[in-house]
Amino acid sequence: DVPVLISEDIVISQPAKILNFLRKQKYNADYELSAKQGADTLAYIALLEEKLLPALLHTFWVEAENYCGVTKPWFASRIAFPLSLYLPGKMSREALNRILLTRGGPPLYSLTEVEAQIYRDAKECLNLLSQRLGTSQFFFGDTPTTLDAFVFGFLAPIYKVCFPRVQLQEHLKHLPNLCRFCDDILNCYFRVTVSGHSPAGQDTADANLQKLTQLVNKESNLIEKMDDNLRKSPQHPPRKLTTLKLAAGGEESSPSNRLSP
Amino acid sequence: AAAEPWPENAELYQQLKEEQILLSDNASSLAVQAFLKMCNLPIRVVCRANAEYMSPSGKVPFIHVGNQVVSELGPIVQFVKAKGHSLSDGLDEVQKAEMKAYMELVNNMLLTAELYLQWCDDVTVEEITHPRYGSPYPWPLNRILSYQKQWEVRRKMKAIGWAGKTLEQVLEDVDQCCQALSQRLGTQPYFFNKQPTELDALVFGHLFTILTTQLITDELSEKVKNYSNLTAFCRRIEQQYFGGHDKDSSAAGAARSAKRSLLR
Repeated sequence: DVPVLISEDIVISQPAKILNFLRKQKYNADYELSAKQGADTLAYIALLEEKLLPALLHTFWVEAENYCGVTKPWFASRIAFPLSLYLPGKMSREALNRILLTRGGPPLYSLTEVEAQIYRDAKECLNLLSQRLGTSQFFFGDTPTTLDAFVFGFLAPIYKVCFPRVQLQEHLKHLPNLCRFCDDILNCYFRVTVSGHSPAGQDTADANLQKLTQLVNKESNLIEKMDDNLRKSPQHPPRKLTTLKLAAGGEESSPSNRLSP
Repeated sequence: AAAEPWPENAELYQQLKEEQILLSDNASSLAVQAFLKMCNLPIRVVCRANAEYMSPSGKVPFIHVGNQVVSELGPIVQFVKAKGHSLSDGLDEVQKAEMKAYMELVNNMLLTAELYLQWCDDVTVEEITHPRYGSPYPWPLNRILSYQKQWEVRRKMKAIGWAGKTLEQVLEDVDQCCQALSQRLGTQPYFFNKQPTELDALVFGHLFTILTTQLITDELSEKVKNYSNLTAFCRRIEQQYFGGHDKDSSAAGAARSAKRSLLR
């Protein structure tokens, strides 16, 4: 169950419990908030979980092109074999299960209807967040609070990960204040310096993540090129992704040689 | 259909008041009744044992207006808006966003907690839910239907991560939600000051039902009673929209009969 916080001998999972633990250690971003603002935080987090999360899960784990092209290789590359063959599939099934159980009842009878509804809800949620943020830097003025952290957590993956199917990202890009909000937080708190070390001190993890993101981007570009080539010569069967991954280093030029007419 | 005015014979369907209806369904039904009363639209409550199966979405309550059937508060609010009645027109965009967020909070925490208590707490399930849910049907159908529903609800709870929670944690969540609602309400008469909105109807539906339904223990209603402005809010809406004199349509009548039949 991620994320997990390990502090000395204590292991805590789930965001709410981690935040409680940090608050008891006197780290509290909501200290300056009024009671009503604290209540608003809870309400907006509920809104995110109900309206935005299903579409987010769908984009990452259920949408076939996104899952096969980006999410699965990304996760599988960091999980040891043979778990890498099983775990991403399990997470994908759990995501679909969650979407169908919470949003999939009648009168929506097919998966496409459910998908249409959850993306409509997600876009409405993004609009509401944009209206609420307005022109201020953070949701409650000039200093970030728990709500900013939650909203950033939900928005940043949509904003930054390069998927083949990106309808949510395109909608987000039409809301400039939310994009500015994400960029601000990324620059302030997630800056990675040229040498690959972040000022917060998470050196190797961040550098690896950056390399991984680049690798994933390169792979999805390659996949696009492959698709184009395949479309020109339909009699050749599509190549499996695994062979592409292994061959990515040395044989980048050969696919185009082999498949060109 | 949208252009037609609201007819006099509009009906709201729910399960049987005395023997069958459960906490969560009663709360949803009361919320819709409160909303329609706030819009000044006449509605007649009809109790049927198979209301859940008649509903287009499988959930109660649903309203039958003219030749249209609409279920659940969200779609009903939109349907009523299409007919030209709305409680939230006076709100600006930021307030509308806040209202939607608080409605999700109530659905996310209060409704889920009610469902958890009814279907995942073994004592409550044995003593209250199973006997009530299948009561209009003969054995073995009554047991089969309740087990089927229980299995469905438990699957959903597992998918959203509530299956691992203990009753204490669920009551903690209810307390947090009530605290947030209480802080938002403050000393105002309604959540958005002078005029009630669908959020007021939804909160009233859930809190009033929790306060007036007798369960195995009083822990759930005690959590709400801790916040005096919430109990005053419920009392105020009950007196204003449900009257005290008309026992048949009053909210207190509905909830009191549920309470009477739950007393063992």
